[in-house]
Amino acid sequence: MKKLLLGTALGLLAVSTASADTITVVTSFPQDLTGPFKAAFEEAHPDHELEVVNRNTNASVAFLQETRDSNTTDIFWASAPDAFEVLKSENLLAKVDIQAEGIPDEIGSYPINDPDGFYYGFAASGYGIMYNTRYVEANELPVAQEWEDLMSAEYNGHVAMSAPSRSGTTHLTVETLLQGDGWEEGWAKWKWIAGNMNTVTERSFGVPDAVNSGSAGYGIVIDFFGLASKATGFPVELVYPSVTAIVPANIGVIENAPNEEGAKTFVEFVLSPEGQEVLLNPSIMRLPVNPEAYANAPEGFPNPFDEDFAPGAIAFDVDKSGARYNLVNSLFDVMITYRLDDLRAAVSAVQEAEAAHADSGNEEAQALIAEARTLIEALPITEEESLDPSFTGVFQVARKTEDTEVVGRQAEVEQEWDSFTVDNYRKARELAEQAAAL
Amino acid sequence: MSATSTQSSRFTLFPRLSGAAVAGILIAILLMAFLVLPVAQVIYVAFLDARTGALTLQNFEDFFNTTLFQQSFVNSFYVSAMSVVVATIIALPLAYITTRFNFAGTAIIQSLGFIPLIMPPFVGAVAMSLLFGRNGTVNLLLNDYFGFRIPFMEGLNGVILVQSIHYFPFILINLSAALRNIDRSMEESAQNLGASGLRLFRRIVFPLAMPGYLAGAALVFIKVFDDLGTPLLLNVNTMLAPQAYLRITGVGINDPMGYVISFILVAFSVFSLWASFLFMRGKDYATTQKGGGGLSKRELSTKEKILAYGVILLILALVLSPHFGLVLLAFGTIWSFSPLPDGFTLQHFHTVFTESAQYIYNTLLYAGTAAILDVVVGTAIAYIVIRTGLPGRKWLDYMATAALAVPGVVLGIGYLRMFHGIQLPFGLGPMASWWGIIIIALMIRRLPYALRSCMAALQQLSLALEEAAENLGASKSRTIRRVVVPLMAGGILAGFVTSFATAAVELSATIMLVSRASEAPLAYGIYLYMQSPAGRGAGAALGILAVVIVALGTYLSHRIIERDRLRTGRGEAEQ
Amino acid sequence: MVGASNKEKSMIRETAGIRIENLHLSFGTTKVLAGIDMEIKPGEFFAFLGPSGSGKSTLLRAIAGFGPRPKGRILIGDRDVVDLPPWKRNVGMVFQSYALWPHMSVRANVAFGLEERRMPRREIGPKVEAALELVGLLDLAERMPSQLSGGQQQRVALARTIAIEPQVLLLDEPLSNLDASLRVQMRRELLALQRKLQLTTIFVTHDQEEANTTSDRMAVLDGGVIQQIGTPQHLYDHPANGFVAGFLGTANIIEGRVQDGAFVTKSGHRLPVPAPPQGADRIVLRPQNIALTEERGEGILPGRIRHREFLGSQIRYLIETADGTIIVDTQHGPDTHDHAAGSEVALRIDCRNAPLLT
Repeated sequence: MKKLLLGTALGLLAVSTASADTITVVTSFPQDLTGPFKAAFEEAHPDHELEVVNRNTNASVAFLQETRDSNTTDIFWASAPDAFEVLKSENLLAKVDIQAEGIPDEIGSYPINDPDGFYYGFAASGYGIMYNTRYVEANELPVAQEWEDLMSAEYNGHVAMSAPSRSGTTHLTVETLLQGDGWEEGWAKWKWIAGNMNTVTERSFGVPDAVNSGSAGYGIVIDFFGLASKATGFPVELVYPSVTAIVPANIGVIENAPNEEGAKTFVEFVLSPEGQEVLLNPSIMRLPVNPEAYANAPEGFPNPFDEDFAPGAIAFDVDKSGARYNLVNSLFDVMITYRLDDLRAAVSAVQEAEAAHADSGNEEAQALIAEARTLIEALPITEEESLDPSFTGVFQVARKTEDTEVVGRQAEVEQEWDSFTVDNYRKARELAEQAAAL
Repeated sequence: MSATSTQSSRFTLFPRLSGAAVAGILIAILLMAFLVLPVAQVIYVAFLDARTGALTLQNFEDFFNTTLFQQSFVNSFYVSAMSVVVATIIALPLAYITTRFNFAGTAIIQSLGFIPLIMPPFVGAVAMSLLFGRNGTVNLLLNDYFGFRIPFMEGLNGVILVQSIHYFPFILINLSAALRNIDRSMEESAQNLGASGLRLFRRIVFPLAMPGYLAGAALVFIKVFDDLGTPLLLNVNTMLAPQAYLRITGVGINDPMGYVISFILVAFSVFSLWASFLFMRGKDYATTQKGGGGLSKRELSTKEKILAYGVILLILALVLSPHFGLVLLAFGTIWSFSPLPDGFTLQHFHTVFTESAQYIYNTLLYAGTAAILDVVVGTAIAYIVIRTGLPGRKWLDYMATAALAVPGVVLGIGYLRMFHGIQLPFGLGPMASWWGIIIIALMIRRLPYALRSCMAALQQLSLALEEAAENLGASKSRTIRRVVVPLMAGGILAGFVTSFATAAVELSATIMLVSRASEAPLAYGIYLYMQSPAGRGAGAALGILAVVIVALGTYLSHRIIERDRLRTGRGEAEQ
Repeated sequence: MVGASNKEKSMIRETAGIRIENLHLSFGTTKVLAGIDMEIKPGEFFAFLGPSGSGKSTLLRAIAGFGPRPKGRILIGDRDVVDLPPWKRNVGMVFQSYALWPHMSVRANVAFGLEERRMPRREIGPKVEAALELVGLLDLAERMPSQLSGGQQQRVALARTIAIEPQVLLLDEPLSNLDASLRVQMRRELLALQRKLQLTTIFVTHDQEEANTTSDRMAVLDGGVIQQIGTPQHLYDHPANGFVAGFLGTANIIEGRVQDGAFVTKSGHRLPVPAPPQGADRIVLRPQNIALTEERGEGILPGRIRHREFLGSQIRYLIETADGTIIVDTQHGPDTHDHAAGSEVALRIDCRNAPLLT
């Protein structure tokens, strides 16, 4: 008991001394990233101390929402731009004047900083396909270069990705393809890729973990996971498909921050050339947003400011993405994440039927297969609906305007989509099986 | 607990209240403030219309109309029930052999059988998939030599396997205790009438141990039903708990279904508990009786001994395989698509020792304090429920036990919502970001474990022993302190160990409440490491440290319990 | 003896005698039984009597097959059972705690042994009912054990054991959990039942009255050794040693020596005994064989009352004499004179039948 009291007393002392000039950062970044930054920052600014609190993006946002009335956090520091959008829309971010030089407005086609000045991009990430070399060798698989490659039957059961609803960065990849190839074409692509998946993970780190340990051969990942895994020594490689989303990772000051001056100092440090070079640390491996930082980059380090990098990058429409953000996530979950088994069964059946009739010239079978493909690709809503406020409103936290009529409750809409999807997958499988039997 | 009672006897504001009543009221307030209200704050969203904020049952209608949720419910139920079955298959031989036979190494086996409960988050699932996954050690070897794989970890199978290995100790502990309490004459009379072997077990021993078994099985069922960590890590999302989690924690989503599911999880778990209580009522045969012969431990013949050791080693190998995988991970360099790591190193431990000392200190402080509070409150509740006639006393038990069914995330969010506005004195800041709140969360979450142990210990304590002390002039509070608590020591210690060990690796509520890395516990440190490729080994090393610390504590407590049993003459006294 | 009806007799296949030869048994290094030899005749009601720790229950359990394996032989009938497990011995045992299984009804408890013997179901029913009828509990067959009184539980335990038609019935302190009046009633019922079934029965008790009233013969045990075997009356009248004398009834054991056809106590008091054995150094005097008298003279021993106890039919005095404290019981009646503690009295000792111990 006495020890306990002593512990309490010591704890009190520790807390009271720590609050001198402490900058509290809530972040979803791993210690591998925050550690080097903390060290470099505290060396450059010995009068400041960085207090890092790690939570995943979702928990961070929930934490900031729940604690807004007596905020203790100075900075939010995370990848997903959408999380910043949510915080911004709820007035949880402060507009602070930050001095930074040499950082362009755009990387790829994605604006680096929030146009309204609530948050700043400090590093860029691209999307890529990460693969395990031992796995690929043992299964004698070709290396997938493009997203389309992952649709082919030989990758069946070898692919992993995380759910866009769980990982803001995955969401951007999904949305990139939807914008690049069009709503219907894009979803069709995702469904055929997903049909080859062995898992849809609930953590974004689950994908590199699966590829690193060899339980999946290919993973659709944000590039630094692949680069850092490789740097750690795992037998993995990363390729950038020609259509990729280049997205910034962000930093923003929280509204009503206890130590706003300190927060500003840290943000400026992160954006300074000194801070930008920390990103090249082998356990971080993120792309600096300051083009000058690439001068000291190791050989083969990708440079998104280079013309050769991702030539097929599309013009990303941020407003479009934002408007249907939750709807796309929900649709992906309903059609893919939660019904992965049904989808895989249908896709496998089609793949088998196609293999059986590759050269048979059986027209009846071809027709059945075509019908099955249509059923798999069918969508419960059109692109227009996906952007209709009365539809997207179903999935939003708080309606901005009371007068927007929404079409129903989320559970109701999802149930409709779900039965539509499950039905189609089942029918597609039956048709493909019929075709294969011909 | 004795402390509250002695204080209360000096309490003069309401002189008509007994010490027990004051303690009861204090505990009720504690449970209301730190369990019922915070959870209600979160769950009441289930009854609100997402659009208008009006009260409605529409959300529940939606829940029952949604195929996905129906399926999730069925899956959750199936996984929980199968986990109980598999956990029973694992626990039964261990419990039976170590309690009913003279068997060298009983203390070690019982301690090792406890270790799976101390599975740190994330690392366990990673280790399991490296061993049993599609391209894990076992399947790679099987595929190389025999050309086939066994889908241990695919879909619901994986969840059942991991959950039953993780939670079977609940059955082991309760069943062992129940088996120890079966009087020898119960078995001997059956042998005398011609029963032996498996028939004896099936017809006499197991039915008599049923209350203990059911208590453990109910615990396993509810924990599996409510657990979200394992399904999420194995990427199984068509179960209720992961569905609730995914819907509550999605960025910016205001889906009331998450809260509906949470409500249904809590309600169903409380219902299961209640059903198991109902089933057990009147069946709690305390068979150690007057004129009985105490516990019988039989000798085994050499052949039987070999068989018994074989079975035990096989089971231990299975249940400790995640820890074995953890060791490989912690000492391994790169482990990818190969039966074993490429090489071995001490680097990860070096990393952990230089970076993570504060996690260990924090864990010992948090889990230790929480577990002490748990046994204090647990003993008090047990005493109030079993020995006093206070009105509504059973509700203390129900409330405390319901904590079992509250998902950690729900409790964490509830605390943020309820306590963040409260400023603590002495510059401690908002209550929700004070490190003490982590201790309270751990205490509330682990209280059911300590409570069950304390209840069982007190139930076995004859009332006459207390009456004797009172008759000799000891007051109620002194009787409790000098007679009841010492005699319950074994049970209290068992409760402490269970609470401490499981609190030491708890993450789900903690992760919402940690506000400074310097105040974070071990499990949080492991979580940090496991979010990056380079941190896998270090996370595993930290996991090993957690397991070793807790396992040592467990083993010591077992020794103390054994010594205590010998001292109080509850060993095998022959005529 | 009550004649057994055919139905009741049919419950016992064959009763058997028991022979125990040179039986030794230890718990670890503690010797509990040392060289037990005895023979129990078929149909005999035999008691093991001794204080706690004497080894009587251990011996009984060894016959049933419980506890560590003893050295020596235990023959039931002609069969040496030492190496048989309990479930193959066909001896019925009633436990001190009754050991009724709380999860089974009375009927299920009684049927258990028959089911274990793989008896066809249609035969089990009548057997169970016969056994319950025998102990008078047929109407309680569907009750659970916790709903029965102590005496009823005892009877169920008995019925359960008898139902398997054992060759031998072992009773381990069967009456110790009952209250005094029930105990007397039960022991009569037990005896009547045993006579009816003519079943070899061993009854373990520490209560001499129980042993005396029920058993045909008994063995007195102490320290894991048989002190004496015989009929209750023989043991009372002719105890082989001080332990048996003291354990069976109250005894004054006075030291002295044999001289000139009489026993002379240490203080020199002379007690005339017919044909005293040479070398006897103690005499056993039962309290009821000593009277308080006003006489003085030859054969009269003076003393002073230290303590007085009222026992109902008798009054017991503890009297200080030159040969130590002597217990004297006098009849309590309208004619007897009551002495107060502290008064001087004289003892007249009737030692015609007093056993002498060597």
